[in-house]
Amino acid sequence: MSKPNSRSSFGRSAGRSTFGRRGGTVTVIEDRVSRSYARTAKVAFYVVSLVVGLLAATITASYLPPVAAVLLGVLIGVVVGLLVAAIVVAWPVLRVLWWWSPEIGVTLAAGYGWVLLATHTNLLARLLVLAVLVGVPASIPAVRKRIIAFAWCAVTRHRLRVCFNEFIITNRSGTLPLILWARPTPTGERVWAWLRPGLSLPELHSRLDKIAVTCWASAVTVEAASDSNAALVRIDVKRRTVLTGTIETPLLGLVDDGTPTAERVVRPVPTALDLPDVPASNATADPGPVGNGTRPKAAKPAKNGKEPAPEPAAKATGEDVSDWI
Amino acid sequence: MPTTAAPVSVPVGPNLSMFDPAFLGLDEFGAPVHIPLAYRRLLIAGEPDGGKSSLINTVMAHIALCRDARPVLFDGKLVELGPWEDSADEFVGPDMDHAITTLRRLQTVMNNRYAWLLAHGRRKVTAADGLKAIPSLFDEIALYATVLGTKAQQDEFITLFRDLVARGRAAAMPVIAATQRPSIDIIPKSLRDLFGYRAAFRCTSAGSSDIILGDNWSHAGFCATTIKPTMPGVCYLIAEGGVPALMKVAYLTDAHIATLADYAAWVRTGDRTNPHPAPAVLAA
Ligand SMILES: Nc1ncnc2c1ncn2[C@@H]1O[C@H](COP(=O)(O)OP(=O)(O)O)[C@@H](O)[C@H]1O
Ligand SMILES: [Mg+2]
Repeated sequence: MSKPNSRSSFGRSAGRSTFGRRGGTVTVIEDRVSRSYARTAKVAFYVVSLVVGLLAATITASYLPPVAAVLLGVLIGVVVGLLVAAIVVAWPVLRVLWWWSPEIGVTLAAGYGWVLLATHTNLLARLLVLAVLVGVPASIPAVRKRIIAFAWCAVTRHRLRVCFNEFIITNRSGTLPLILWARPTPTGERVWAWLRPGLSLPELHSRLDKIAVTCWASAVTVEAASDSNAALVRIDVKRRTVLTGTIETPLLGLVDDGTPTAERVVRPVPTALDLPDVPASNATADPGPVGNGTRPKAAKPAKNGKEPAPEPAAKATGEDVSDWI
Repeated sequence: MPTTAAPVSVPVGPNLSMFDPAFLGLDEFGAPVHIPLAYRRLLIAGEPDGGKSSLINTVMAHIALCRDARPVLFDGKLVELGPWEDSADEFVGPDMDHAITTLRRLQTVMNNRYAWLLAHGRRKVTAADGLKAIPSLFDEIALYATVLGTKAQQDEFITLFRDLVARGRAAAMPVIAATQRPSIDIIPKSLRDLFGYRAAFRCTSAGSSDIILGDNWSHAGFCATTIKPTMPGVCYLIAEGGVPALMKVAYLTDAHIATLADYAAWVRTGDRTNPHPAPAVLAA
């Protein structure tokens, strides 16, 4: 709503050829947005004051004379209607306040705490408290990491808002998606958002690369967060690769220490392990009974119709089978 | 090795079941990934050295320790599933005739199981039945589908394989198959779509990734080309109807595999159609 108009000059120079007389694209959208909010506020004022006024008049009529009841009804209706209209008009501002609520909250708390300390202690004690408050979390790695992760959550929420504002086309009235809460994950952050009419999951999917750039992340994925409501989506911002260590299976913990080594039937081990060891007349794609010499079924020579080579003299010569695959 | 005079310890198996979820690894949010194996079909695909065989081994480790599983192994490379041979009812190497015979036997077992289910007025095998699951594990299915044997044999292999994949579910005969690229010539699309679970290891093109995971996942940001070659064992796992999850598979070293395989063979003594000689006898 209150976008600095200096940016319209940039929009104009870029949009001149396409939009001609309409001027900068940014200004047009902002105008449209504020006009739309004013119109909505007007409608809301009339509807709410009428409904609330009638209701109030009906109720007060049983306690007061009719004329007084009507007057009181009109008064209540106008007051409530104005209140609702004010909220509608102020909605973009309220939204900005919501976006910055963590920062506002932290700043207010810090300021209030400092003032409170200042009224009760001297400068030295204040500095001491400050040193403890900042120093202890900073020196404990787990706490420090946690705090940094939450700070990144705040950053990501703002970067996502920038995405929606800058390049994700919104609806006719220019409302932006509501960016809900965020929480740190091992790879980055996970943010929930409430899409407004005009946006959809596939539309976000087509802009994942740009979102990743805007969020200073390596990759971004967006998924539906609710089975019953397509408006609620979950955005995963990934900035770290975590799958680097080797994972052990818990099955190893089940193994009995007294397990004897399984005795396996000793098979002929091939000795022709280099190419010159295998003469051309012996070449076959069939390694013979190397694999399953234990079973009688495998004892019969396997036919491999693919190779019309002469029946090999020594089946057990074998080759490094792994090389074919 | 204890001498024969030492008291022989009795093998006690872990109380794992095919109907329990099997641990595969951790996802990128640090949460463990489990999949139930008894009714699922898992397709594993990706570049060489992506970690397909290590996922097959992790799955096999769970199966080997299950009290109610009698696995059948197909491994043209011998070395990947070979260590588990003692826990399997049948181990098929690079031998097309053996592969087809084994698949035919599996088909008959499956038919019998369905007739048994019909006779009992039921529609699927459950944990309470006392029937054992028969998981079939294939490493490098392409070897059987395109390399070994004659064209007719390959076609028969694919037909039998398709039947096993399509009908095995309710008979508790799950299929777990790995291949490099499940293109049309190796696994027809109609067959590929029967696999509810797919694991996509590193791919070189978004097209390959989509072939494995299903249409358009790369468009939504889930693309196996983003997995770096320096990260073996990382894959996108998609479960039926879900969203792919980036995960890292648990890794078994050769020593771990030997330990687990020995233990599995020990607790399964007497479980096989061709029983091995008792270890005590051979140890002499
Ligand atoms: N989960 C894993 N964790 C760590 N390293 C792995 C993992 N899976 C595979 N690797 C490494 O990658 C190599 C190739 O894995 P492999 O399973 O043989 O790949 P593929 O069967 O896809 O060709 C292994 O030798 C191992 O060093
Ligand atoms: Mg392999």
